[in-house]
Amino acid sequence: MTEHESIRELLALAAAGALDEGEQRMLDKHLASCAACSAELDAWRGLAVSLKRLPTPQAPPMLVERTRSRVALEMAAVGERRKSQWVMAFLVLFSWTVTLVTWPIVRLLTGGLLSWLDLGFNQTWFGLAGYTALGWLTAGVAGAVLALRRRREGRLA
Amino acid sequence: MMGQVAVLSWEGGVGLDSDVARLRRGDPQALEVLLSRYQHRLYRYLLRLVREPALAEDLFQQTWLRVAERIRRYDPSRNFDAWLFSVARNLAIDHLRRYRPESLDEPVAGDPSGETKQSRLAAEGPTALDRLLEQERAGLVATTLADLPVMYREILSLRFEEEMKLEEIAGVLDIPLSTVKTRLRRGLDGMKRKIELRSRSDWGLA
Repeated sequence: MTEHESIRELLALAAAGALDEGEQRMLDKHLASCAACSAELDAWRGLAVSLKRLPTPQAPPMLVERTRSRVALEMAAVGERRKSQWVMAFLVLFSWTVTLVTWPIVRLLTGGLLSWLDLGFNQTWFGLAGYTALGWLTAGVAGAVLALRRRREGRLA
Repeated sequence: MMGQVAVLSWEGGVGLDSDVARLRRGDPQALEVLLSRYQHRLYRYLLRLVREPALAEDLFQQTWLRVAERIRRYDPSRNFDAWLFSVARNLAIDHLRRYRPESLDEPVAGDPSGETKQSRLAAEGPTALDRLLEQERAGLVATTLADLPVMYREILSLRFEEEMKLEEIAGVLDIPLSTVKTRLRRGLDGMKRKIELRSRSDWGLA
């Protein structure tokens, strides 16, 4: 491929402003002595200008309005979901804290009764497991009630 | 003058950054501003990709819904234009892939316009193109652009209409810079050949 041919390959990209420094230097040097390439580059530039000047199709105002209200609703829903996640995380933390903090009190109050059953070493762990399960069962029921309520609200919206 | 332009563009960038940050915090006012800012550009890009106004409208809405859903995952160090257009593009390409896979077919290498060698030879010569461009037949340019395969329509639109840098285009299309250049050159080449061909037939030279 001659220099002229390889430069011709660059002309379209030159019009698109897509040459690197080395290619641009090579092109400039060649153009100084080649009228044919200069003319062809002008034609490519004309095409580039025509593309830049294409009329911009306008987004219909109704579309923009419709999109605005739908996205605003979606954003509100996303915000609500995020809030629910935080509430859920807080509840989990709270449940564990309450369970662990109140367990010694429960042990103290029920110690007499449990020691009468004489469950030995395991009684502490049985008691704690039962107490925790009770706490989580309550939380699970509360969560299910909340989910049902939300689904009903979603249907009504 | 240059200083003024620089200040204006800096303010524009800062304004955009703060609007995007507000949108990430869920501020509906920011959505309003960004929608107004990008409405015509985004619609134009989608229209160039899918060519049907009804479908472009549907994708326009889906794009903003996706933006609302994923804005927290957006990396603020990235260019917002490129991120927004890549969201739109992914939705459009998914749609085309699902419902019109034939429209995504890559043309034969070196022949992006899909023309025969004979028709290309018939279109050789700069005079027809010069005559056409001198008269600025924008309608024909638009029609010709719409006739190109989607991969060339999108790259020409991003470069010349959106005036994106090559690196930004590479980000939107998720392709290497060298492929951006190749597609750009082939796209322009396809445009030129089609214009020359049409111009010849318009002038009774075919």
